[in-house]
Amino acid sequence: MLSEVRFEGVHKIFGTENAVEDLNLTVNAGEFLVLVGPSGCGKTTTLRMLAGLERPSYGRILIGGKLVNNVSPRFRDVAMVFQSYALYPHMNVYDNLAFGMRARGAANDHVGRRVRETAEVLGLGHLLKRRPSELSGGQRQRVALGRALIRQPQVFLMDEPLSNLDAGLRVQMRAELSRLHQRFRVTTVYVTHDQVEAMTMGDRIAVMNAGRLQQVDAPETLYDNPANLFVAGFIGSPRMNFVPGKLTSANGRSSVTFLGITTPLSTGARLTAGADDSEVTVGIRPEDLMWRPAAGPDCTLTLAATVDVVEPMGHEAYVTALCAGETVTSRFPPRSGVRTQERVELALNPARLHLFDAQSGMTILQRPQAAGVDTLRSVGEARTNDSARGRSERQGEPEARGATTRSEEIS
Amino acid sequence: MSAVQARPLTGDQLIVVPYRKVSAGALATNVILILLGCFFLLPMLWMLFASIDSNPDWAIKIPSPTFANFADVLGRADAISSFRSSLILAGTTTVLTTVLALLSAYPLSRMHIPFKRSFMLVILFASGLPVSMLVVPVYQMYVYLGWLDSLYTTALFLAASSLPFAVWLMKNFIDAVPVELEHAAAIDGASTFRILRQVVLPLTVPGIAVTAIYTFINAWGAFIIPFVLTYSPDNQPGPVEIYNFMGSHGLFKFGELAVFSLLFSIPVIVLYLFMSRYFSGAFNFGGAVK
Amino acid sequence: MAVAGTLGPRLDRERFQWSSLLMLAPGLALLGGLFLGPVLYAFYIGFTNLALVGSRSRDYSFTGLENVTRMLGDYVFVKSSWLTILFVVGSAIVGQSVLGMLLAILLRNAVVPIRVVVGSVVIVAWVLPEITVALIWYAFSQAGGTLSILLGHTSSNYLVLVPMLIVSVANLWRNVAFSMLVFSAGLRNLPSEVLEAAEVEGASVWRRYRLVILPLLRPTIVTNLLLVTILNLSEFTLIYAMTQGGPGIETTTLPIYVYQEAFVFHQLGYGTAISLVLVLIGAIFSLLFVRASRSQV
Repeated sequence: MLSEVRFEGVHKIFGTENAVEDLNLTVNAGEFLVLVGPSGCGKTTTLRMLAGLERPSYGRILIGGKLVNNVSPRFRDVAMVFQSYALYPHMNVYDNLAFGMRARGAANDHVGRRVRETAEVLGLGHLLKRRPSELSGGQRQRVALGRALIRQPQVFLMDEPLSNLDAGLRVQMRAELSRLHQRFRVTTVYVTHDQVEAMTMGDRIAVMNAGRLQQVDAPETLYDNPANLFVAGFIGSPRMNFVPGKLTSANGRSSVTFLGITTPLSTGARLTAGADDSEVTVGIRPEDLMWRPAAGPDCTLTLAATVDVVEPMGHEAYVTALCAGETVTSRFPPRSGVRTQERVELALNPARLHLFDAQSGMTILQRPQAAGVDTLRSVGEARTNDSARGRSERQGEPEARGATTRSEEIS
Repeated sequence: MSAVQARPLTGDQLIVVPYRKVSAGALATNVILILLGCFFLLPMLWMLFASIDSNPDWAIKIPSPTFANFADVLGRADAISSFRSSLILAGTTTVLTTVLALLSAYPLSRMHIPFKRSFMLVILFASGLPVSMLVVPVYQMYVYLGWLDSLYTTALFLAASSLPFAVWLMKNFIDAVPVELEHAAAIDGASTFRILRQVVLPLTVPGIAVTAIYTFINAWGAFIIPFVLTYSPDNQPGPVEIYNFMGSHGLFKFGELAVFSLLFSIPVIVLYLFMSRYFSGAFNFGGAVK
Repeated sequence: MAVAGTLGPRLDRERFQWSSLLMLAPGLALLGGLFLGPVLYAFYIGFTNLALVGSRSRDYSFTGLENVTRMLGDYVFVKSSWLTILFVVGSAIVGQSVLGMLLAILLRNAVVPIRVVVGSVVIVAWVLPEITVALIWYAFSQAGGTLSILLGHTSSNYLVLVPMLIVSVANLWRNVAFSMLVFSAGLRNLPSEVLEAAEVEGASVWRRYRLVILPLLRPTIVTNLLLVTILNLSEFTLIYAMTQGGPGIETTTLPIYVYQEAFVFHQLGYGTAISLVLVLIGAIFSLLFVRASRSQV
């Protein structure tokens, strides 16, 4: 059963604090939607309102087309995985898994069959007799997941379910959660503050900040076309560089001036607002700001900079440099050999610039998108497409790396 | 490295672990504790020795062993009836207090109740009121209601006077049960009653045990309330009986008195041992007063 | 809120759940009937001339401040108040708290067998019924009792010679475990990094306790003092069973005077008035402690 979830003008006020403001959001049936944002942005409150643990101050919440504002959690037919797992400490794994079905009055043999099936799916078969205190963190996480899975609810709610796991296990569970969603295809709302989880797991990502929804889009769209400064800065690591700039117009073509250079906007992009001579904020992702010797032919712009800090990451290096009075971060190939205070040339592809209105912080540049990303897709297909493209992009890297080694030889 | 090792160490370069100094401090600590232990043990020893001594007096001395004192006490009808009275009094008080404390503490811990904070402060304040203040008005009320000289009505007042602290204690235990477990159970589809019975209650067992045992120990030792509210010999609980015994025979029957107090003390000591493993948390008052 | 005006009434106002009242009702009824009721009644009786027997037991009346003026001229009341403060300050505030702290600190550093044995003995003394404690300390302090033998005056009855001291020590003996447990819990919960930092910085044991541990324990100490004061102010059983307030009125603290006025001299009204003074003293102490805990934290 696939159910759609809708928030219509939902507010939540705690005391004088607006935890969630005017939230309008539709989670499509069968979709895996990730709610992401810094702590205190209202994402957990949104999830708890959907679960029925908080009541909205204003607005409507619908699950499967049914208004649930005044429906208690018990009757909402949702399942939730808590950050702390919230396993019943006095019950063994079997009873933890069976609790929900028993509460709904399922027959004993049916409960037993479902518990065993679910335990099998999650690899918990041999642990059924153990208490939560006798399980490892990863096993507890699986039990919490199993308790949600076993019920086959209309909607899965997950509140930072992986945040208590160590890094390796987190990567493994991330893949497993995606696999489970492929298999059961239950509408899922997943809350996290971790943008990597958001990018890798979500069919779509909803970014929240200070109680307001900033943007909802597929991961690539969000990355390529952030709606405002917040989303641009929040998604992507290292952070996007922001430098002040100015829009100008010469013989019918718009140009932008920043970091001491002027460049016409690429022909594919469309300016949605902004008059001549208006102040803008120019956004440049660190990977678009390359080291000249490693840059491709698209990088037609060149900037002179002085290296401030070099942070080697192994497979690459983050270089913080001073360029026309601004501090910018750039992703260098590994073993570039640059040192602090060294003067370097940075290369930039003008087609990869982001422009934001300096006052409102909203994007004013509509950039071309990969085909099919902005329309509603059949979820599974899009997902495989995305990962395929992700791979091909990554395969581009060895070339750059090769360039590096060469340049090192030269120097 | 090798250069350092090659140089011979001189005496002042050796790091001397001040082992002897530490052990002197530790020795003093343990000796002082043993002396303090004697201070606490000595008065108790009298009770132990006198109970099995055929010829006891006020001093601690090596007993000439006999079980005659035990036989004497266990053969006395008033001693047996006082145990019965104490059991009824403390048992009834404990059941009443624990059940009511549990029922009251849950909503106070979890539900929205207007003026809850002020209410808890009143409860805390009430648990500090001296019983001496209540003795007279309660006596007057009991006279008026015709409730005097009944173990059950006496237990009712004992329950009322121990309820504030019991509620406070129980609420702290329920507060410690993560509310997320109840949320998880609600989302799992459990009814309020099922949540209380299968999630909250099992996890509150230590709190219930501590509250019940604490109440029982206090009610078992309660003196002034039954002293004032009961008068017939059959209804006198242990403490009152021992007091009367001290008054009437104290100077002659050391052995029986010792046996009586010893027997009367054993139940609460055993109960305390049961409870002690749950109890450490109960003394964690940290910044309870703010 | 700007939105509040445009969106109409809030949908998430807290609802009072009637089930909570259902659960609270039995406890409230008992507390109201047999606790709050008597407390309010006590405030009334305290200003009447109610008596236990005779014509005043039925035909009593409100006498205003008569009981208060009577108290001020009552030699026994003044002495009794003084004894009560002596008992609370000496036995509870100083004795019990200092010895309790000392025990908590020493037990932390003692070897395991001594810790277990001494700790248990101290706690058993606390768990014993008060009447038992009264009896064994009565025996301990009699002429020919263990104390007189230890002090080499077998003919001295210390319960007659220094009655207030003996009952104070007996009370301290019984209650010290409470403070010990409170302080042990407090010490256990201290942040170990802070203690280790002090140790690494080379502070002596004495300095560590004086400058680091005791200040950190301040909230625990204040709470302990508050609870111990309130509990000891109303101590009745131990003193009464040992001395009945005697010899003379040498151990007649306020709770005992309340009982005697009410049930021995049949002056229920005056006795209750005295118990209200007891409550007043408790309130003053509590206020002082709460104030002490607020300043300097």
